[in-house]
Amino acid sequence: MKLGFYPRLASDGIRKNRRMYLPYLMTTTAMVAMHYIIGYLTVGGALENVPGTAFITSLLYTGGWVVAVFSVIFLFYTNSFLIRRRKREFGLYNILGMGKWNIGRILLWESLITALISLTAGLLIGALLSKAAELMLINLINGEVNYVLRVSPAAAVVTISVYSGIFLLLLLNSLWQIRSSTAISLLRSENYGERPPRANWLVGVLGVLILGAAYYIAVTIRDPLTAVGAFFIAVVMVIVGTYMVMISGSVLFCRILQRNKRYYYNPRHFVSVSSMVYRMKRNGAGLASICILSTMVLVMISSTTSLYFGQRSALRERYPRELNLQFYMKDASYLSDENVSSLLWEVEAVNTAQGITAQNVYGYRAASVSGLLEDGEVELDSSALSGFNLSTFSSVYRFIFMPIEDFNGVAGTDYTVGPGEAVACVFRSEIDCDTISFTDDVSYRIVAKPDTFIPNPGSSMEMIPTIILAVSDLDSLGELRDMRDYNGFPILQYTWNYNYDTGADAEAQTRLYDALRDKFTSNPTLSEFFGFTGRSIECREVESQDFLSLYGGLFYVGIVLSIVFSCAAVLIIYYKQISEGYEDESRFEIMKKVGMTDREIRRSINSQLLTVFYLPLIFAAMHLIFAFPLIKKLLSLLQMINNLQLFAITTGLSLGIFALLYMLVYRATSNAYYRIVRGAR
Amino acid sequence: MSILEVSNLRKVYSSRFGTSTVAALKNVNFTVEAGEYVAIMGESGSGKTTLLNILAALDKPTGGVVRLDGLELTKIHESAAASFRRDNLGFVFQEFNLLDTFTIQDNIFLPLVLSGVAHRDMEARLAPVARDLGIMELLKKYPYEVSGGQKQRAAVARALITNPKIILADEPTGALDSKSTDELLRLFAKVNSTGQTILMVTHSVKAASSAGRVLFIKDGEVFHQIYRGRDSDSQLYQKISDTLTLLATGGDGV
Repeated sequence: MKLGFYPRLASDGIRKNRRMYLPYLMTTTAMVAMHYIIGYLTVGGALENVPGTAFITSLLYTGGWVVAVFSVIFLFYTNSFLIRRRKREFGLYNILGMGKWNIGRILLWESLITALISLTAGLLIGALLSKAAELMLINLINGEVNYVLRVSPAAAVVTISVYSGIFLLLLLNSLWQIRSSTAISLLRSENYGERPPRANWLVGVLGVLILGAAYYIAVTIRDPLTAVGAFFIAVVMVIVGTYMVMISGSVLFCRILQRNKRYYYNPRHFVSVSSMVYRMKRNGAGLASICILSTMVLVMISSTTSLYFGQRSALRERYPRELNLQFYMKDASYLSDENVSSLLWEVEAVNTAQGITAQNVYGYRAASVSGLLEDGEVELDSSALSGFNLSTFSSVYRFIFMPIEDFNGVAGTDYTVGPGEAVACVFRSEIDCDTISFTDDVSYRIVAKPDTFIPNPGSSMEMIPTIILAVSDLDSLGELRDMRDYNGFPILQYTWNYNYDTGADAEAQTRLYDALRDKFTSNPTLSEFFGFTGRSIECREVESQDFLSLYGGLFYVGIVLSIVFSCAAVLIIYYKQISEGYEDESRFEIMKKVGMTDREIRRSINSQLLTVFYLPLIFAAMHLIFAFPLIKKLLSLLQMINNLQLFAITTGLSLGIFALLYMLVYRATSNAYYRIVRGAR
Repeated sequence: MSILEVSNLRKVYSSRFGTSTVAALKNVNFTVEAGEYVAIMGESGSGKTTLLNILAALDKPTGGVVRLDGLELTKIHESAAASFRRDNLGFVFQEFNLLDTFTIQDNIFLPLVLSGVAHRDMEARLAPVARDLGIMELLKKYPYEVSGGQKQRAAVARALITNPKIILADEPTGALDSKSTDELLRLFAKVNSTGQTILMVTHSVKAASSAGRVLFIKDGEVFHQIYRGRDSDSQLYQKISDTLTLLATGGDGV
């Protein structure tokens, strides 16, 4: 087949620069495949018939866009390496009489070829792997698998249009770069010398300060709700700080090394330190990018893994027993012993009819209210909250009052409290006051703060911290009972909670669940008689599908994004090595002439790589360690009991595995670098 | 006493499958005495660069022997070649070959650092060399901040600082303007007067006329040589010009 002139030039260009193009093509292919797979799982409707996947589908959909946006940024970055390499060639064409227009045509063909290869290969690989991805996801969320292999045209169309757009943007960028430079500058662009950067103390110190501040925020955050806001602030600060420290700090660091004559004038360090300082500006940015990507991967993997493997305990927190009943009572009078025991009798009647005996029972009466707690004073007027900001928002608590006998019954304790005294259990936060007063008359002195956790759906579901106050009896709430919010509803919400296991199989549990709902839902006579305005009947077995799919889905998206970001980090490392290899080629040639042996060159390279290469990893590990308390707080929004050990293990494991992969990449890429430098002979 | 002996040196380049061969050096014989200043002249393609590469142990000859101070260069293993160059030879190149990542001072130190010389000794060695070459003020600057002539002087300093047995200069004036060329040649003469052996490859008559002896290479063989004797630079210049004319017009022998 006879190719046209331009297509041939373009394909030759790609082939001759395969050391640069191959990784680029592999990345674009991987991104296309990833995007297709996500498309297959979302718009392709692969999960349509799997129950409980609505949330994951939307999560994945967002993930798909994250991948796309990231592709744009990242491919622009790698494309700039390619263009820099090619400029010399284009400059030569230009001098030999090719117009910018003709060069543009070569670029157009190159883009077409790149796009064609990566779209074809990407879609092919995507189609092959999509079933595996689907099976893995369904397995993660405990769904039922089927083994029908199919291709989703809709997903393919979306992927093709998104990535065609990206390739078009890349082409326009390249064209613009060629257009805006002269033939001579094209020819010289590659060895355009930069003057060695002066160490910028200000930026370096500022970077350290910003990083320090971010770390301080991360470590000192106390309650999870503030943590959400603080997390984003800290993330931005860490990114900015990392860039500043790496760009300026690394130059400073090298300058300091240079000042130490004995270290600097050592065959092993002499060459590496001086070349590092020389190109640290660009180098620093690359290192910072690698560091940020590594940190993102580590944070995502460690937290989603921890969530996934902690999902069973989270399920138990949210649904403490197989069946969890909660009745919302009109007022305190319906929480009388008589009324509650009659209601209990009605529940038991359903149990008996279904042939079930309640086990591991725990029930309690409670009254709850939300308010702003500051210095032991509670502001219950919600209108006072209207002008809230992050700091007041963080002191919003949910108070659950419980009669002490109910509390003792559930917690298995034997506290006694007098009037005006309370036992306090605080979740998701800490309080340091000894007295909590709601009004002038209603005030409690806290006699004990046990760590006992009393699972209650309210505090599992909501993000705000909870304080359980076990008081002598609910009558002691005094005037609180009469207070109303601006809608005229009582501010106190009275509930009777009844939770129990059945010892029966899933099917029987579901039957019981249906029977309970039949009886207590839309039965005006019953609700009128017992005085409940609403009820929540939850069966762990029934809810688990939705619940587990949430954690499985998060885990899955975490893995997908980690793969994408890891690919990016590896590629940045590779390109950094390659482009530096080409830059250093002539330097090492000179050094060889002056009398540097191969071994010395290798040693000098190793010294340079070791100093520079592990820096991002060390920084990423440091970021992760400081982020640990903050992420722990964030996770507590999804899982009440802080499964510290699990999170510590997943974090440690992620870091270990990541470091191992990092070292492998280091080996591979340093060889690529060495081959280029060696090729100088 | 001769410091460099080249006898029956041959270098044949062959294409990948050995189908065609080109003899860059056919049969080169000459010796350089210690303290001599020798220029080698020849046109492009005469084999000058090949010869210099072999003398620098950067390339292996096809046949023949090169002895530097009694040591047979052709027998040096490739891995030892680099340290041999570092310890025994000093280089001055046409394009200076200074590293842009180093200051002038560090560029001069490079061979010493590679040999593992202590920093204090380096400073001690640098001072007299830098003073002689007039580059004291440039030491802290980077190559891109100084002129071509200054770069070449720095390169000479780098070549001298190891006290090499011989300095090999490859077209050292090729990238210099006439003023810098004059300065550099005066410098070479001065360095030579202290007993330093210099071998310079050039096709500049002016550069060659500063040497004590001029060898002419043509088609891979030493074709002719001229001793300065008592001639002045300009007299030698004239002799070289005459010889070159003869070479170009194809005379057989002089």
